[in-house]
Amino acid sequence: FLTGFFHISEPLTAARTVNWQTRGSTSDHLTLGNNVSTSGPDLTTQNFKQATKENVSNVTFVEYEVLLPGECVSGTSIEKNITLDNATTIELSCRLDSKYSHLKSLQVAWKRGNETIRHIRKTENSWSIQLKILDNSKLGSYSCMLEGEEEISAKFHLQPKIKGKEKPVVSYEGDKAVLICKSFDYAPIAWTWYMTNGGEQIAINDSLVADKYVINRISASVTHLIIMKLTKEDDGVYWCEAAFELGKSKAKLTLKVLSLVVPLKPFLAVVAEVVILVTIVVLYEMYSKKKEKHAVEFWNLTSLSYREAEESNGLENSSARHRKI
Amino acid sequence: PPPANVGRAPGPPDGGWGWVVVFGAFVSIGFAYAFPKGLAIFFKEIQDFFGTSYSEIAWVSSIMLATTYGAGPISSILVNRYGSRPVVMFGGLLCGIGMVSAAFCTSILQLYICMGFVTGFGLALNLQPSVIIIGKYFLKRRPIANGLAMAGSPVMLCTLAPLNQFLFDNFGWRGSFLILGAILLNCCVAGALFRPIGAATASVKTQATEEGKDALKEEVTKDAVEMNSPTNIPMETKREEEGGKDCCEKINQYLDFSLFKHRGFLIYLIGNVLMFLGFFAPIVFLAPYAKHIGIDEYSAAFLLSILAIVDMIARPTTGIIANSKWVRPRIQYFFSFSIAFNGTCHLLCPLASGYTGLVIYSTFFGLAFGMVCAMLFETLMDLVGAARFTSAVGLVTIAECCTILLGPPIGGTLIDTFGDYKYMFIKCGAVMVLAGTFLFIMNYYNYRVLAKEEKERKAKEEDPKSVRTENEDRNNWNKETVGDGPELEPLREEREGLKKEVNGT
Repeated sequence: FLTGFFHISEPLTAARTVNWQTRGSTSDHLTLGNNVSTSGPDLTTQNFKQATKENVSNVTFVEYEVLLPGECVSGTSIEKNITLDNATTIELSCRLDSKYSHLKSLQVAWKRGNETIRHIRKTENSWSIQLKILDNSKLGSYSCMLEGEEEISAKFHLQPKIKGKEKPVVSYEGDKAVLICKSFDYAPIAWTWYMTNGGEQIAINDSLVADKYVINRISASVTHLIIMKLTKEDDGVYWCEAAFELGKSKAKLTLKVLSLVVPLKPFLAVVAEVVILVTIVVLYEMYSKKKEKHAVEFWNLTSLSYREAEESNGLENSSARHRKI
Repeated sequence: PPPANVGRAPGPPDGGWGWVVVFGAFVSIGFAYAFPKGLAIFFKEIQDFFGTSYSEIAWVSSIMLATTYGAGPISSILVNRYGSRPVVMFGGLLCGIGMVSAAFCTSILQLYICMGFVTGFGLALNLQPSVIIIGKYFLKRRPIANGLAMAGSPVMLCTLAPLNQFLFDNFGWRGSFLILGAILLNCCVAGALFRPIGAATASVKTQATEEGKDALKEEVTKDAVEMNSPTNIPMETKREEEGGKDCCEKINQYLDFSLFKHRGFLIYLIGNVLMFLGFFAPIVFLAPYAKHIGIDEYSAAFLLSILAIVDMIARPTTGIIANSKWVRPRIQYFFSFSIAFNGTCHLLCPLASGYTGLVIYSTFFGLAFGMVCAMLFETLMDLVGAARFTSAVGLVTIAECCTILLGPPIGGTLIDTFGDYKYMFIKCGAVMVLAGTFLFIMNYYNYRVLAKEEKERKAKEEDPKSVRTENEDRNNWNKETVGDGPELEPLREEREGLKKEVNGT
């Protein structure tokens, strides 16, 4: 059984479509373009370039293709993840490697789960279906299956990407903090902020407690959450969620609230070090001045004849003595 | 040998405690130059915090830089009056106070004042006296001392950049400013090391009575009369010539405006003001240029690291080269050459393609940058002499202040207008090559005139009527050659000293 799966899922990142032409890689996830996706509960992002793009009426029409390989390796499944962020008409096609051309009658079926979808045989060795993805319900996993030895599936997974901040944001009690989320490529319809309270995510409503939270939408792709009058309880994880036409995606931010004592300790340590060093320098200088004073008194007694000799000798000698010091 | 303050004008020690002073100057200069650059890490966060645009934040940096350079004359006046040590310690204290108060700011305007003005002023009080005191402690080995002290800037920058990042990740920007304020207090330690040298020697007093000066003048100029005791004579002769105009005289005590009649000083001033127009812009735009031609962010940052490391090595090395017997008498040519070399690097930069080309450019740029910086103050000292240097450095920095501030924005405008970085590099390169050539030609002329004056002076020496004391000779010579600092004196002694060295080794 050769199967190709197309898994079309919630857009979590804006899909910049990448020109992917799979060569029948046997990895579980075929990645095109730059980003690697690791499937799982986490939201992952991938970028895909558009293979072809035609505007059919008001809806963009994108074609995605997967090539089923000639080598039969057991248990292989080709999965492609496609990210869509808005309503699109897409065409998914499975193309067979020329190795199969010897098979006269090929049974290819397009399925979504158990449901079979009518397909069009575009050419001798490629089969395609057209899908109109207009809302969440159409997202999912589509597979093309070739009756044969092995099963190959191609999964398409689209995730628009938004970004928070990896490092924690540090602020102080009584101060304010600004948490920022950015969306790349596409502008979300709406932003929502959540705070985690005992494992649960609670939406932040800025109109309820006016003095505490302010949510600013700086631009279409950037949102600011300003938390004022910070307390220890505000410390923790925050989520920003971007809603796109076809789904939502989240990003995580961490806020650390410190008390003023925390930076005070290193501050006092450095100040102490400075005071100690200055004291040492001053003491050393006083000590060496005392030594010099004794020497000066001694030399003063003998310096008179010294000076007379110098003046009588004139310019050259005194320059020489200058250099000697 | 008898201690320095016995009965005659002491020469600079050229060693001993001088090296400790160099270390102090290393720290102080390092903070003064590197600290404003290191703050760039915090700007993005502060910009988001206060909700301002990037240019408003960039003003903090500009104000700090402008104050550091613009407060130069004030620094010079204070050093003339009180000596280097109290000024540096006060400067360190001011920096600390500035940054600590910046940690508690609630608006961008307060940041301008605390970070921009106060800290900038404190850094100015650090920078000038550190450079000045090197001139007081060194003569023969002054270029080395200058090179070593100026190396503080890249070393501090390399230390501050990761430190700032670490502080920021752990304490946020407010906590970081608090701790940085404490770190800046280390400038006070550096200042404590600046032991005053050559104060109130007996020969100075006899000098004063010979000239018939009043006690007030003596006290004020005492600190300025370190080793070359007759060097304050030019100021005295000025007074006699001007017929005792008290107001101008008083100002000249604190800040020697007569320098503007000094040929060497004017040459230096014009050349340097021109040079600074193209000096800093390439550094500011190197990383953006790298990203523009497609290099990733980390490699672009690495270019700056290469620059800093090469700079670090280049400065003391240039100091050693400049101290050698071949270069020292003609140090002005070496300086002009390094400026022109710097300019040529910029002119060739647009030809660099790809990352390797830029790495080569960064290396040569770091080398040229280090060479110029190491000799920046050394050449000024060489031209005006150590005593007048105090005022000279103040006047030079305030003049340079304008072009330093103008340089990067002009570069930025060129980039925005033409959409291409190469015009900025061409402009910087052309300006610097021009400055280098100007300095070369004018210094050639200056050397010739000085040689002529030296000959005339030697002719006068033969005259049996002139009193044969070293100081009187210099007095006459100075009266004839108006505004000529005693730069020939150290050069002459230098040459004789070097001859002795060569013969001795």
